Amino acid sequence: MADAQDVDLRAAINAISDVIQNRPRPLREFDQIYMKAGDMVMQSELIARWADGKRMAFIGDGDAISISIAFLQERGILKYGPTKITVFDFDERICNAVRRFADKERLHNLDAELYNCLEPFPQVGRFDFFYTNPPWGASNRGESVKVFVGRGMEAVGFAGEGVVVIADDEELAWPKLVLGEVQKYALANGFFVQKMMSQLHEYHLDDAPDLKSCNLMFKAISPERIVRDSVATPKDVLEHFYGRDSAPKVRYVREKKRVDYGKANEDEYLFEKIGGT
Amino acid sequence: MKNTLISPKTGILFMKVGVHAQESLEAIIARKTKEIEDEGFALWGYGGNTCHPSTMVQPFAREFEHRGGNIVLCMQEMVSNHFAEQVRADDYSINGMEWQSIPKGIKVLGSRYALVIKNLRKTEEILELDKTRVAVGNSMGRSGDKYVQGRVDKACLELAPAAQDTGDQPKTVAINLVADIASPYAVFLRNRT
Repeated sequence: MADAQDVDLRAAINAISDVIQNRPRPLREFDQIYMKAGDMVMQSELIARWADGKRMAFIGDGDAISISIAFLQERGILKYGPTKITVFDFDERICNAVRRFADKERLHNLDAELYNCLEPFPQVGRFDFFYTNPPWGASNRGESVKVFVGRGMEAVGFAGEGVVVIADDEELAWPKLVLGEVQKYALANGFFVQKMMSQLHEYHLDDAPDLKSCNLMFKAISPERIVRDSVATPKDVLEHFYGRDSAPKVRYVREKKRVDYGKANEDEYLFEKIGGT
Repeated sequence: MKNTLISPKTGILFMKVGVHAQESLEAIIARKTKEIEDEGFALWGYGGNTCHPSTMVQPFAREFEHRGGNIVLCMQEMVSNHFAEQVRADDYSINGMEWQSIPKGIKVLGSRYALVIKNLRKTEEILELDKTRVAVGNSMGRSGDKYVQGRVDKACLELAPAAQDTGDQPKTVAINLVADIASPYAVFLRNRT
């Protein structure tokens, strides 16, 4: 991990503001719940420092932490960060938002690939670090978290390090259950928990406004890279993925193409002319 | 007031209600009652993600169906000034992907989501929120009285395991309106223009 540096907070917040302007609106049915701006600044600095000089895979990234890191680095607000960032997301709007921003701001180390994590992972062992903020698994004992973390482990060839961002609450039982299940899963797959940073992030989450998340950071027990065939997620894991009898039904969220991307959608308004004609 | 709403086999969908999309509660009740008489069901519109149709209400209802029970919509009347426009929804969807036209006799205004109700009755009962807990979603397990406050005015609740009697005054809310919810329980809404 690189040494911490002083950060120009105004410049960092304004940069994150640009990133937020670029994010597609969240789809709650897929647990797209966005992190709040202040926490994005803090999280981006932390992750950039942690993954300094590494090739990084993001397994899903609605929050746009990947873009934030690359942008803060490119602007010189952070002097450290990963050498390469690839975002894997099943939402084409998110992938295209990454590509558009990277193109506009000349972020040469940032790219995105349309990928549904229920399917075999396409780039096994090509990364050093992974990052994921998955559906938190309140209804499925953390199975959804394990699916995303598992793809991250494949991305780093079961070597290197990873971070999962998941719910962390003193009062509720299910986040503790999920944290326990995820730690067991990590150990069973050759990773140990290196650090847990409790209750760091807040979200635009109207049904649980006080719920926070933590960073749970893993490190591989062995540095030896294992590249094996990736397989699809088993059906029995999917059966109750979104609650009882609620298996995932969508492979990809496709973007409706517009030439005027970023402009307010025309079905939101109409012009009433001066003079009424 | 009676206190008979909650049981291990009855899930409670709690909601505060009042003026909605510039229509008084009395007018809404009269209109919905007529819709149920004419069409066999009505759509009770609402918004917000505390009772999201596919990630909260439908799994909640299926869970109680699995237990051999049901869920009941319990509404507390409140003074409100709901500013949503009186835009009528044209279509409804169970999953947000496949859409069907809303029958002509059913009018649901200014809402993103709706509950499917098969009856509607006024009542004078109380709900002990401190004896409930959130049944689904990211706040699952949180005590009902701690959850329903501030911005949160709806909740999928179940009976909590018996807590030790602290001698505190029970935290209750008055329930003025009750409805039984029918499959598919909750739907997405959209308008075409």
